[in-house]
Amino acid sequence: MFNKKTALTLGASALLVLTACGNGDSANEGEESEGASGEPNELTVWTWDPNFNVRALEIAEEHYKQDNPDFELEIVENSQDDVIQKLNTSLSSGVETGLPNIVFIEDYRAQSFLSSYPGSFVPLEEYYNTDDFADYKIKAGTYEDEVFNVPFDSGVTGLYVRTDLLEEAGYTLEDVTDITWDEYVEIGKDVTEKTGVKWMTNDHNDLGIIRVMMQSSGVWLTEEDGETPYITDNESLKLGFETYKELFESGVMNVHNDWDQFLQAFNNGEVATVPTGNWITPSITAEDSQSGDWAIAPIPRQTIEGSVNASNLGGSSIYVLNIDNNELAGEFLGATFGSDVDFYQDLATEINAIGAYEPAAEGEAYQVESEFFGGQMVNKNFAEWTQEIPEVEFGGSTYEIEDILAVSLQDYLNGADLDEVLEKAQQQAESGM
Amino acid sequence: MKNKLLMKKILMYAFIIVTCAMFFFPFYFLIVSVTNASIDVTRGQLLPGKQFFENLKTVFDTTDIVNAIGNSSIVAIGQTFIAIFISSLAGYGFEVHPTKGKEIVYTLILGSMMIPFAALMVPLFRLFGVISGFAPGFGIDTLLGVMLPYFSTAFLIFFFRQNAKMFPKELLEAGRIDGLSEIGLFTRVFMPTMKTTYAAAGIVTFMNSWNNYLWPLVILQNPKNYTVPLVISALGSSYTPDYGAIMLAILITTIPTALIFFLLQKYFVAGMIGSIK
Amino acid sequence: MTEQPTVKKKKAGKLERKRKVMSWAFVIIPTFFIVVFYFYPMIQSLWLSLHSGAGIGLEFVGIDNYKRLFNDQAFITAVKNTFIFFIFQIPIMIFLALVFSVVLNNKSLKFKGLFRTLVFLPSITSLVAYSLIFKYLFANGGIVNQVLMFLNVINDPILWLGDPFWAKVLIVIAITWRWTGYNMIFYLSALQNVDPSIYEASTIDGASVIQQFFKITIPMLRPVILFTSITSTIGTLQLFDEPMNLTSGGPGNATTTISQYIYNLSFEYTPNFGYAAAVSYSIVFFVIILTVIQFRLGREKK
Repeated sequence: MFNKKTALTLGASALLVLTACGNGDSANEGEESEGASGEPNELTVWTWDPNFNVRALEIAEEHYKQDNPDFELEIVENSQDDVIQKLNTSLSSGVETGLPNIVFIEDYRAQSFLSSYPGSFVPLEEYYNTDDFADYKIKAGTYEDEVFNVPFDSGVTGLYVRTDLLEEAGYTLEDVTDITWDEYVEIGKDVTEKTGVKWMTNDHNDLGIIRVMMQSSGVWLTEEDGETPYITDNESLKLGFETYKELFESGVMNVHNDWDQFLQAFNNGEVATVPTGNWITPSITAEDSQSGDWAIAPIPRQTIEGSVNASNLGGSSIYVLNIDNNELAGEFLGATFGSDVDFYQDLATEINAIGAYEPAAEGEAYQVESEFFGGQMVNKNFAEWTQEIPEVEFGGSTYEIEDILAVSLQDYLNGADLDEVLEKAQQQAESGM
Repeated sequence: MKNKLLMKKILMYAFIIVTCAMFFFPFYFLIVSVTNASIDVTRGQLLPGKQFFENLKTVFDTTDIVNAIGNSSIVAIGQTFIAIFISSLAGYGFEVHPTKGKEIVYTLILGSMMIPFAALMVPLFRLFGVISGFAPGFGIDTLLGVMLPYFSTAFLIFFFRQNAKMFPKELLEAGRIDGLSEIGLFTRVFMPTMKTTYAAAGIVTFMNSWNNYLWPLVILQNPKNYTVPLVISALGSSYTPDYGAIMLAILITTIPTALIFFLLQKYFVAGMIGSIK
Repeated sequence: MTEQPTVKKKKAGKLERKRKVMSWAFVIIPTFFIVVFYFYPMIQSLWLSLHSGAGIGLEFVGIDNYKRLFNDQAFITAVKNTFIFFIFQIPIMIFLALVFSVVLNNKSLKFKGLFRTLVFLPSITSLVAYSLIFKYLFANGGIVNQVLMFLNVINDPILWLGDPFWAKVLIVIAITWRWTGYNMIFYLSALQNVDPSIYEASTIDGASVIQQFFKITIPMLRPVILFTSITSTIGTLQLFDEPMNLTSGGPGNATTTISQYIYNLSFEYTPNFGYAAAVSYSIVFFVIILTVIQFRLGREKK
């Protein structure tokens, strides 16, 4: 029966829980004040991806501990979207409680954070030699002439190809090395026709591939000021749209709708090439049965003056927040990600991470031949291409403009005039600024 | 006549079974997936595999899921009891003793349901920054801080008031004649009579609390305090997500809510009201 | 009270006053919590909506943000999409939830608890799992297309995720699937408060099950139906999870919702919390209008 007794029990248990967790919290509270925020030897980091960023930090911690045995690193793991949300909420509310010392930020978003929260991040030039890093990485974290980032993964792109399928269609790896996107499309048509396997896969909502093309040509969605939308006059973007349409309409493109289907497409052998960032390597090699069938080639270039066979997709850098202990955070990053060649060897060996740190490429881990990729020195190749990536100003509107362009692309694929859709996009982007 | 009845029965069961199968299918996929490797999950493998123990190992090696379930339990149970008690007080008060002033307050309360929580997050976080200053046990990075904004919600107040409309008010008069105080009327007449309403409120409050994501994400900082959804989200944050393990973590953490529902739905038996009279 | 003897009047008046005080006592604590944790942030948010700028660089702009809404293509598209979801999804879901609750309330039904749990399960299935399976089921070569083609309903596979129209249909299917069981709970619980003798009487009068459904069940459950339709309205106008996880708002922006736009303005783009707050208040505005309409409709038929 549900009577007075029940009601009383209900109320009592509510009180009980209330006091119980009150106690639980104060216990946690005690623990915490000894830890993250209080201790001079402990740093907190916010990042995402347990197999990549988190592992990299753990390796860094091991290295740093060799000289600083008291050092402790508390790694808080959330998805990237969640890190962005937490960081924005904390910084915009001005509440310092619970902020981490160190945070990872994707390069495309860095300018947006640096300009939105001036004074919240600490300049880091003094902790490491910025000349040792590829220019485009340093530029991503430079705001008002000060460098706020320590670069992490390079995001260097490559063309992953199935050599067995190429062979079947009468091509060699040589034929797809240092080519243009036009050549890429032509070979693709042939290979798809002869093998029945699609040439590549893409999601119409994800314009990453067009970003790759633009950076290889040294331009971006905004002009050099990082603010003015650069759409109608952007030859590279226009060419990118045309290449995209050609890939789609010629039937060589497999269309996927999300990340899982993307992974599935190459793991299931449904596509012959994957033009993307080097962080995809672990996903490619996840399919053991395809070992020896894959190879990497430089990413195609655009038929534009100055376009090169090297580009970048994604990639993040590390930032230090302007709270207590920021000197220690700077020193830790400077001593590991900023200058430790051995550390980069471990990164390459353990998690296939290619940094943008030039001296690291000389190390042993970069000279290893990969069986999966037919004996190629994958890390070395990526490290070399990293140095050729053109630097561009990402600005703070990359994703905002890209959302507008996703609609433009849809319209264009449905038959609208390219100049008109880009004109419309330019106007919309300008009105949003 | 008998045949017709039988036909009717068969038809009804057929309808129920087909519908339930449709509702259950994605859950079936979840169950099967916990035994498969990540690559097979993304392929949509619908048959059981042999990866269960590997997945189990991954979940327990890479996450502190037991601790998270503990945290989620504290939050969900605490929030459920307190919220349905406090909110039903208001729902009852607004419906049984309506006055003009109260109607205005009530309308304003309903209004607070209409704004997306995302818009309240930054001011609320700032507020908890202040609370942390003088009462750290209720502030940022505490489980009480996770619960506090949900002790009284417009949603539950509205729910209890709408259900109180169906409450036979003559029972109150009878109670008054029996000499019950106003509080006695609530705890000894209203609460027992409306037990199915409390059961429904309990289910949805528990579920919403268990699945709550945005606010715990923002207010909790120390992984030791993380609730289940935060741990699962982090597990899926990789460029190379291990879907077998993710599915297993999801399955484990779905069971409590399913169990609560299964237990409380037993209160949904016709004619309960009669038994109290 | 009027019938009470005059001698007791004084006492009754005191009692009345006491009751009045007590009645406020019931609502005072819940209201206090709402004021602190909802009204206060709401007012802050309203004030914020009169500002614009990146991150903490906010400047007072008056009602400019609200003016901007009318020329903002992304916002207008999001409003259109959201209303399409609202118009199609809510009636379907509420009707289904009512039917299920009545069927699964049948006294003679076996395994009732199991069936109820199965219908309820979608609302507690994690988004990660269910978006994965939905994308798989509704892929171009997925099971749904195969079944439809086998049944000759269609000749070519439907591009559920790639076509602006079908992507919207998919979202409606997904929300209905997820939230029907949830709404069913409210009806199931309310049905227990309906006196069974009413049904018995009408059965004797020869009313069919369907007649009972429309003539007894629906009118009796009106307050709870009103509750679910209003909370579902709010839920749909704040719809975020499904488009975010199933379609990412695409193709193009065919399934972007207002809440997703708020999210983008706050976190995905360079944050403009002022403008995001203004967009949030546009939801409040729409919900108030729809709620008033529903309260009116709910009342009139009484």
